[in-house]
Amino acid sequence: MEAIEHPPIFRLPAIFSDGYIPDHVTYTWLVMIILTGIAFVASRRMELVPRGAQNFLEVVLEQFQALIDDVIGPEGRPYLPLIATLGLFILTGNLLSLIPGFAGPTANLNTTAACALIVFVSYHAIGIRKQGVVNYFKHFMGPVPLLAPLMVPIELISHLARPLSLSLRLFGNMTGGHILLAIIFFLMGLDGLIGWALSGSKAGALVGGVGGLIMVVFTVGFLYPLKILVSVLQAFIFVMLTMLYIAGATEGAEHHHAEHH
Amino acid sequence: MSRSLMLALGAVFAFPCLAAAQGPAATGGWVGPFAVIAAGIGMALAAGLCGLGQGRAVAAAVDAMARQPAAAARIQTAMIIGLALIESLAIYVLVVAMILLFVQPIKG
Repeated sequence: MEAIEHPPIFRLPAIFSDGYIPDHVTYTWLVMIILTGIAFVASRRMELVPRGAQNFLEVVLEQFQALIDDVIGPEGRPYLPLIATLGLFILTGNLLSLIPGFAGPTANLNTTAACALIVFVSYHAIGIRKQGVVNYFKHFMGPVPLLAPLMVPIELISHLARPLSLSLRLFGNMTGGHILLAIIFFLMGLDGLIGWALSGSKAGALVGGVGGLIMVVFTVGFLYPLKILVSVLQAFIFVMLTMLYIAGATEGAEHHHAEHH
Repeated sequence: MSRSLMLALGAVFAFPCLAAAQGPAATGGWVGPFAVIAAGIGMALAAGLCGLGQGRAVAAAVDAMARQPAAAARIQTAMIIGLALIESLAIYVLVVAMILLFVQPIKG
């Protein structure tokens, strides 16, 4: 992967060893600083009639809350901090990686796996706290006791596949987009079409200039908007699946009760 | 048509063997070229079939939205979740392709 990556603008030297702190860690800290700064500015002077940053953040959080009400229901509101933090972190990380010279923390499997493991542990914890240990794991055995030997492995695998697919989906989408951008940049960079256009030959000026122009228009006009769309969409999907998992862990109890009564 | 396909496949699969046989031994074994081919073919298959699946999903969703515009928001949400789940299958192949290309766990 190092073959097509460029070093980001700044790196921090590691304290306890030689070399540098990995880029995704550095830029995770940057995302944390950005989000904490926005939250600090927005909540420094809270007013009943919000203005400026407070107004903006309230709109954003109300969107999250409407989504939670829609998917989990009003009893899902206590999980707003978890869901909104994950969503804002992933969205900021995705968008940060679009700025040239910044490394995206979400384009690294370690960051996305950390997010997915947080989701995995917390939805199980929420389910156990809502239903109790025995009731919660009873769901793994399916509706009929006879089918339990069949249902338990299926349920275990499906639950274990959730963090895998969550982390790989985000990582693959982000990294795939970056590889696409890198290849397009290499095609048109100083070693590619633009270099050919600047080389002085007539054919280069004709073909390379036109080709380079097409590439620039294609990148700015199509690839970047597409990547912004994908960034927002992937953050939305991560949050949406998190809410669905939490809803599945909490709703099971009522469904089960309804069947028995 | 199938014969030309066989010929093309044969050329594709035979070429890295010849290249590896002719090339210097220091360039590594014969797994590397096959890994590149496997990544390309796998990604092509995954992208094509994923496009077919997503096309079916979007077609059904648009149809439903046209029939019942009142439910468009909920249908759209369900469609986006479904598209994400379908797309993740192609993303698995992308990750495997990237592992084959960049990590190269098997040295032949």
